[in-house]
Amino acid sequence: MATISVDEELIEKLPEKYKDKVVVTGTDTGVRQELFIEPDDLCGVVRAVKEAGYDHFLGITVIDYPDKKIFELVYLISSINKNSRLVAVRTQIPRDKPEIDSIHLVYPLAYYQEIEAYEFFGIKFRRHDGLRKFILEDNWEGPPPLRKDVDTRKIVLELYYGGKRYERPIQWRSLGGYSKVKETGEGK
Amino acid sequence: MVLKAIKLGFKYLLKKPYTRMFPVKDPEYITKRTRARHILYMDRCVGCRACQLACPADAIKMYRIEGDFPKNRAKIFPGIDYSRCTYCGLCVEACPVNALAMTNYTMRHLITEDKATTLYTPEMLAKPPEEEHDITLDKRTWTPPPPPPPKK
Amino acid sequence: MSKKITTVYLGPQHPGAPGNVGFKVLIDGERVLDIDLIPGYLHRGFEKMMEYRRWDMDLVMSARICVEDPDHVELTYTHAMEQIFGIEPPEKAQYIRVIIAEFSRLASHLLWMMHFAGPIAARYALSWAVAAREEILKWFDYVAGHRIYHHYIFPGGVRWDIPSDFKEKTLKVLKIIKPLIKDLEEGFFKHPVFIKRARDMGRLKPREAIELGATGPVLRGSGVAYDLRKTLKYDAYKYLDYEPPKGDYGDSYDRAMVRLKEMYLSIDLIEQALEKMPYQGPYRWRIPPVTIPLGEGIGRVESARGEFVAHIINYSSKSKRTQTPYRIKFRGPTWPHLTTVLKHIITNEEITVADLPVLIGSFDACPPDIDR
Repeated sequence: MATISVDEELIEKLPEKYKDKVVVTGTDTGVRQELFIEPDDLCGVVRAVKEAGYDHFLGITVIDYPDKKIFELVYLISSINKNSRLVAVRTQIPRDKPEIDSIHLVYPLAYYQEIEAYEFFGIKFRRHDGLRKFILEDNWEGPPPLRKDVDTRKIVLELYYGGKRYERPIQWRSLGGYSKVKETGEGK
Repeated sequence: MVLKAIKLGFKYLLKKPYTRMFPVKDPEYITKRTRARHILYMDRCVGCRACQLACPADAIKMYRIEGDFPKNRAKIFPGIDYSRCTYCGLCVEACPVNALAMTNYTMRHLITEDKATTLYTPEMLAKPPEEEHDITLDKRTWTPPPPPPPKK
Repeated sequence: MSKKITTVYLGPQHPGAPGNVGFKVLIDGERVLDIDLIPGYLHRGFEKMMEYRRWDMDLVMSARICVEDPDHVELTYTHAMEQIFGIEPPEKAQYIRVIIAEFSRLASHLLWMMHFAGPIAARYALSWAVAAREEILKWFDYVAGHRIYHHYIFPGGVRWDIPSDFKEKTLKVLKIIKPLIKDLEEGFFKHPVFIKRARDMGRLKPREAIELGATGPVLRGSGVAYDLRKTLKYDAYKYLDYEPPKGDYGDSYDRAMVRLKEMYLSIDLIEQALEKMPYQGPYRWRIPPVTIPLGEGIGRVESARGEFVAHIINYSSKSKRTQTPYRIKFRGPTWPHLTTVLKHIITNEEITVADLPVLIGSFDACPPDIDR
């Protein structure tokens, strides 16, 4: 089990602004030191986190909140030597102007994680030279699919099924075709 | 070291093939837990659609069956589309009245030239397979676990 | 000497490619100058699909992310979900999970022989390995009810109780596969052709491996003893006594040998767990099947290929419980291996076209976890 206290070395390396902002949260394998920052300070904070010995970059989780009109980005950074401790650097950017600095010069793996965030959420990373469709190349035309307000099913139906509904109810929440069950047994 | 590999190769050359000659020589490999075709107990089903909601592959659809079912006022029963079913067993777990069970009667019944035959209506599911089979997944074999411990 | 630089596409149908993934290779004669990954052949949009489905259905879907090693994906998902629910599995279930996960690792490493021994033309090795794997699949059928996708690990414990003759049967399976792995070691891993092909090729120094984000046997092959089983001590690993193997030079040979040693380690861990596990007691806690509370969970697991992370966020502005999780993100171990690590090795070392399948094979890539 990862240790529960805040890492002193991390506090030491962090900028003055965030020294007392680190919170330890989570249980089991998800014990982490969380840090909420302004998007403009990202590069400096991530550099400080790396200097404190957190050298193992796990990934970027992007969460879309249409009701709050923000994207939340969670940078998960772990450490090889410090008993695989986890730091989660969280930041929020406005949904109508999704731009943030790229950190691929600090962690090389972030280069590909940022491409993924770009193609699935449409987030632009400044100073990133390879933003393109990577996984979705030749597979997807339309808005970034993992955004909450994109109805991927509708787009897929229009694009690949010629606008026709798929033969059976797709979403479980729509309760199948209970009200539309015919006497003969064939559903919607 | 090369000789050692050749020697081992000869050892395996003399062994009989590992492949099962299904379906010509050997029967298929099944165990007491293999999850395969369902059985529906129509006298127990209450038509609550819990199995339909629990199906990740959307293989289950409810059909209206005419007849006398005192427990099932709406007269709707699950029918399973085996071209979609992944045999995960979530429908059996979701059923509150133990009306669905799984047997180890495997995909032999699915070998077909016509895809439409993979759609099993409630009446077809209610008939247990004629060949020998075991009930592998059922609320009776799956004893309900105790309530969770208090949070720390 | 004439210089002619050409672009060649390797995969996804090429037998030397690790399946479902393509490479754009820049070659000068025999030498490979640069390599670019072309993913997306197996993109199924799982992360979006899971947002539409209930949490128990998501578990069934999560196993499909990596076919070769499904139980570890289920385990990460389970860890993250258990954090959201705020429960801990019973002790018996923790041991069963370790046994299941180690068998999954064993099966995955044995299947890896197909990607690795195949391109070296050692067809005999892969047929022995698949025979050993078949025994494991039969064992999975006996315990979990299915051969490939078991859905046996479940939030709250394991889904069904173990059969009554679990210990004897498991030891019997281990007894069958042990000589097969021994033969693999004698016949393939000590074979001079294999050593010549893999030795001193694709070297990855420890510092670079950490920098580029490698995990699992690739990182341990470079001599960094980093193993989440040892550091996070999840499930019953905290009760077991073992030392994860590591290489020292960091070439393809070391990575392969680490996997071979891990096969022996898995057998050892299963035997230890069988000795120590309690055969009585509960195996699962009941969790309400339909709704989940709000919260956040991160599951981290040492899978057969490296670190697998599931990050689940459940959020709602309206209610305290929801029916579907808000966002699920998976991070697979193949991401860094096929992008940064592969590119680094190829730009820094003289790799020929003939070496390429061996090099890619030594990473034990599972491209579905890039695409998801």
